[in-house]
Amino acid sequence: MGFPLSGLRTSHPLAVTALMEAIIQTENLRKIYRVGKVDVHALRGVDLTVQAGEFIAIVGPSGCGKSTLLHILGGLTGPTAGRVLVDGNDFLRMSDADRTRFRRHKIGFVFQRFNLLPTLSARSNIALAQHIQGNGFNPHRFDAVVEALGIREKLDAQPYALSGGEQQRVAIARAVICEPKILLADEPTGNLDTENSQLVLNMMRALNRSFRQTILMITHNPEAAAVADRIVRMRDGRIILE
Amino acid sequence: MINKMILANVLHRPVRTAIAILAIAIEVTMVLIVVGLTSGMRNETARRVEGIGADIMVQPAGASMFLGLGSAPMPIKIGEDITRFPHVLAVTPVLIQPSSTGGINLVWGIDMPSWDRVTGGFVYHSGGADRQGCRVDCSFADPYDLIVDDWNAKANRLKVGDTVNLLNHDFRLVGIVEHGKGARMFIPLHTAQDLAASENRATVFWVKCTDPGYTDDVLKSIRDWLPKYQILSVREYYTMMTSNNIPALNAFIAALVGVAVAIGFLVILLTMYTTITERTREIGILKSLGASKRYIINAILREAGLLCAVGITAGCVGTLIARKVLLSSFPTLSVDLTVEWAIRAAVLALLGTLIGAFYPALRAAQLDPVDALSYE
Repeated sequence: MGFPLSGLRTSHPLAVTALMEAIIQTENLRKIYRVGKVDVHALRGVDLTVQAGEFIAIVGPSGCGKSTLLHILGGLTGPTAGRVLVDGNDFLRMSDADRTRFRRHKIGFVFQRFNLLPTLSARSNIALAQHIQGNGFNPHRFDAVVEALGIREKLDAQPYALSGGEQQRVAIARAVICEPKILLADEPTGNLDTENSQLVLNMMRALNRSFRQTILMITHNPEAAAVADRIVRMRDGRIILE
Repeated sequence: MINKMILANVLHRPVRTAIAILAIAIEVTMVLIVVGLTSGMRNETARRVEGIGADIMVQPAGASMFLGLGSAPMPIKIGEDITRFPHVLAVTPVLIQPSSTGGINLVWGIDMPSWDRVTGGFVYHSGGADRQGCRVDCSFADPYDLIVDDWNAKANRLKVGDTVNLLNHDFRLVGIVEHGKGARMFIPLHTAQDLAASENRATVFWVKCTDPGYTDDVLKSIRDWLPKYQILSVREYYTMMTSNNIPALNAFIAALVGVAVAIGFLVILLTMYTTITERTREIGILKSLGASKRYIINAILREAGLLCAVGITAGCVGTLIARKVLLSSFPTLSVDLTVEWAIRAAVLALLGTLIGAFYPALRAAQLDPVDALSYE
């Protein structure tokens, strides 16, 4: 594959000392949305364990609850019932502010639509994540990530001047710049052509292998899912096959 | 970093940014011009009263501190009696007539000999040369003679010999005098009395003491003699007019300042509300990166603060331009701009902006990140 990820150094203790420790555990996880006067059961009892350093693909038809599961694991929304432990933190007992703080330091998101801030350059989009984390700009980490993802030449470009593949690489750089424990990717190749999809998948694989980045990736694409260590299939708010 | 993001956001929508800045600038300009005009006109009136050179002013009971407004005139005999008080050098009666010709003006009917004794006489810019050394009421050769000050002459492009329609009569301009002595237009006292059907009456008496040190003694004597009259030393009057504690005027200023601040508040509220609606997805992105509610509120308030700062600067520049235009169009106006009020206007604009931006900021902070990220 040949991505220069050796320049990245992780500070994750889990990556070094607890190779087989569960970083995510859900038990009978449920999520009910209220849409008008109708309760929508998005998750109907999900039991999932993810080891630190695992690369997991979550597949399933639209509306099966994949994104909801990802949002809960990323602390974007709270569960309705059940148990969800992420890096030892019980999300059911955490306030919104606590989950936000947790997300800031331990979660990185990659979205299908890249979700770069359109008014900022690629460089500023990446640096923004460091700024929000509050540890200040780390030039060594920044340079290593930029080099690893091959976007140095594109740093001063605005998102609209970048191809889909370049935007997604910037988005991945933004997601990993703060050394998150878990990278959550919601159909990261959904808006990319085959070549760029393969490029992004290779990079994620490299991130996972080179410094044991835990990755959960939602995808519809069987070829993308094949890159993962393990494939989890969902249907109707439940995991049907692991 | 956050400043870079804010600047990028502001530059991303130049028209909306310009409108918000313009609203703040108008707010600041409106506050400064309204306050500058009212205090300028008030101070200028006070300075003109002081410039008369009298020590005491006597007005009837219930008279307004704005000379010539309200209350019936007094018998002229009162002035003659005051002349006989100890330490009184001279007393001059003035009958003040409001005129609506060319806007609202106050025309002072003066008795030239006593006026000269109290004030030391006019300094003529033009006309009046033939009146040098005149010691009787001969400054006005004709009942319908008119004297104006140089500001009035400039504003109305008048020159000696012109005919001016005043109080529904044609007056002949016989002199243009240095500004700063009471009014801007003067006619003979008898003419003013005839036109007002107030024979032998005066609106105000100006009293000159033999020495300013006797002012308090003379003041006490007149007050004892006329307990119901409004008798003030010119020094007291000047202090009152320039002390910013005139209730009705303060209410007027407060009302206009309130309207200006409300305009700024509403425009910023609308601007920031549309901003967060348009940027809902971006707020979702910030939340996905772990931005706290405080971070988002801070970013939006800072953005509003930036618009406000530029608006305040533009408003101050606009005020200077507006003042220049006003004074060149209306030379008789006076606009006093002070650093104190510039600071007050800036603080008011900033407060209005922060309050106006706070609700949208709060809404943005409370957005559900999942909904925000899926916002189209």
